Amino acid sequence: MAGGAAGEAQCLSYTGCNFLRQRLVLATLSGRPLKIRKIRAKEEDPGLRDFEASFIRLIDKVTNGSRIEINQTGTTLYYQPGLLYGGSLEHDCSPSRGIGYYLESLLCLAPFMKHPLKIVLRGVTNDQVDPSVDVLKATALPLLKKFGIDGESLDIKINRRGMPPKGGGEILFACPVRKVLQPVQFTDPGKIKRIRGTAYSVRVSPQMANRMVESARGILNKFLPDIYIYTDHMKGVSSGKSPGFGMCLTAETINGTILSAELASNPQGQGAAVLPEELGQNCAKLLLEEVYRGGCVDSTNQSLALLLMTLGQRDVSKVLLGPLSPYTIEFLRHLRSFFQIMFKIETKTPEEEHVGGEKVLMTCVGIGFCNLSKTIR
Amino acid sequence: SERTETKSEISDHSPKRKAVLTTDSGNCTAEEASESEEEDSLLEEGDDGGSHEELDTEESNRNGFQHSQGKKADSVRQTKLKTVDTEDDDVENLLREEEEYEEKIDLSADTTGALKWKEDLTQKAAEAFLRQQRSTPNLRKLVYGTAVEDEDQE
Repeated sequence: MAGGAAGEAQCLSYTGCNFLRQRLVLATLSGRPLKIRKIRAKEEDPGLRDFEASFIRLIDKVTNGSRIEINQTGTTLYYQPGLLYGGSLEHDCSPSRGIGYYLESLLCLAPFMKHPLKIVLRGVTNDQVDPSVDVLKATALPLLKKFGIDGESLDIKINRRGMPPKGGGEILFACPVRKVLQPVQFTDPGKIKRIRGTAYSVRVSPQMANRMVESARGILNKFLPDIYIYTDHMKGVSSGKSPGFGMCLTAETINGTILSAELASNPQGQGAAVLPEELGQNCAKLLLEEVYRGGCVDSTNQSLALLLMTLGQRDVSKVLLGPLSPYTIEFLRHLRSFFQIMFKIETKTPEEEHVGGEKVLMTCVGIGFCNLSKTIR
Repeated sequence: SERTETKSEISDHSPKRKAVLTTDSGNCTAEEASESEEEDSLLEEGDDGGSHEELDTEESNRNGFQHSQGKKADSVRQTKLKTVDTEDDDVENLLREEEEYEEKIDLSADTTGALKWKEDLTQKAAEAFLRQQRSTPNLRKLVYGTAVEDEDQE
């Protein structure tokens, strides 16, 4: 499977529907063709789901000259990546997954476009499965900045909020392009400085947000005083098509690490009604759990950080992470297949008390990735 | 901080032990060697594997020191023996005999528990090694599979 000679692009083949986004993103960045077989071949409803089809369309939009072949049943996908083109785009995301599902991958691709990406995504902004747009805005953007991708144009703006099942949200994501990335040395997260957050509610009583804030503060105030949780109640067209509420919290350390946690109410007509007090409390507890895991990168952004380290200049990058998520572990394997890069992985058991669980120090030497679309080698 | 504590403990204990040994009549070599070994094994068990090199060097330093002490004791004893016996070969033979003799006495005089740690040391070491391996999993191996090790070895 892996271990092919670099240079001449060699087709990688995989089976199964898992990690489709990772594979498509890495294939695009590495320029290697990709073949995925047996996508839900044995299920009653075989082939790609609508949200995956939508994702493939999005990849097609941001690239130029990609060749995508899908067989009749949708169980086999062949993808020959083109060049990342970017520009001003729009995309209607499938409401069965959050916008976060699409945005996560765009965050990986956007810095390497030919033209700065400016894309309007429509769909579900906050759901219970994918990282919400709020969390990505609060955590992924500061992370990009650390790798030298910054500037005024780097922004995520939530124009409309949309909750599942119907969605109706809209966001704007803009990202500048960079020729090369900076290596990072990010090994000391430091202590927690402040907690920020957003409690949002759409098409329900505006009191819901206040109730969530109250109960979350009840837990977090015991630990530090600098807490501010915004209440965000959207009305009219900007409130999407379905009712719901939720909360996302971020803890910022003195060294600029941002850890996050979030929860959303059950979608209308699915599951029992959630009390806002309960949700606020649970969300605060999730944030404490995330702080316990610690590390310099939030667990939702582990793979983004590792990707940007891989694509950095030929220099050593180090980053301290909390326990690796299963998604990150698979991502590491994919990084090896696509870029022939292996990380040095060291377990760090904290010696002092009050610094949480085991940490993992990830070290690698960047492959010296250049934005091919920007310059000719 | 824990490590430094254990170190200080050791340093507290060692002079006492040395004092005991020096008062012991001539038979310090075997015992001392065994005790230092025990200490090493204890240390290695306590060590979390993080800063192995640092500890190792210190251990070797300490061992060297103890060895030199033991040698000194040996030489002292040898000189004593020389005064008694004239031929060198006989001295060596005597020494050997003496050691064996003393060991026998140890075995019979002390309870069996005192030398129990000596039993199947290799197996114990293997177990300790495996325990260590298990307590700190090799994440690299977990992530990249067994092929990684082979590549590293090459």
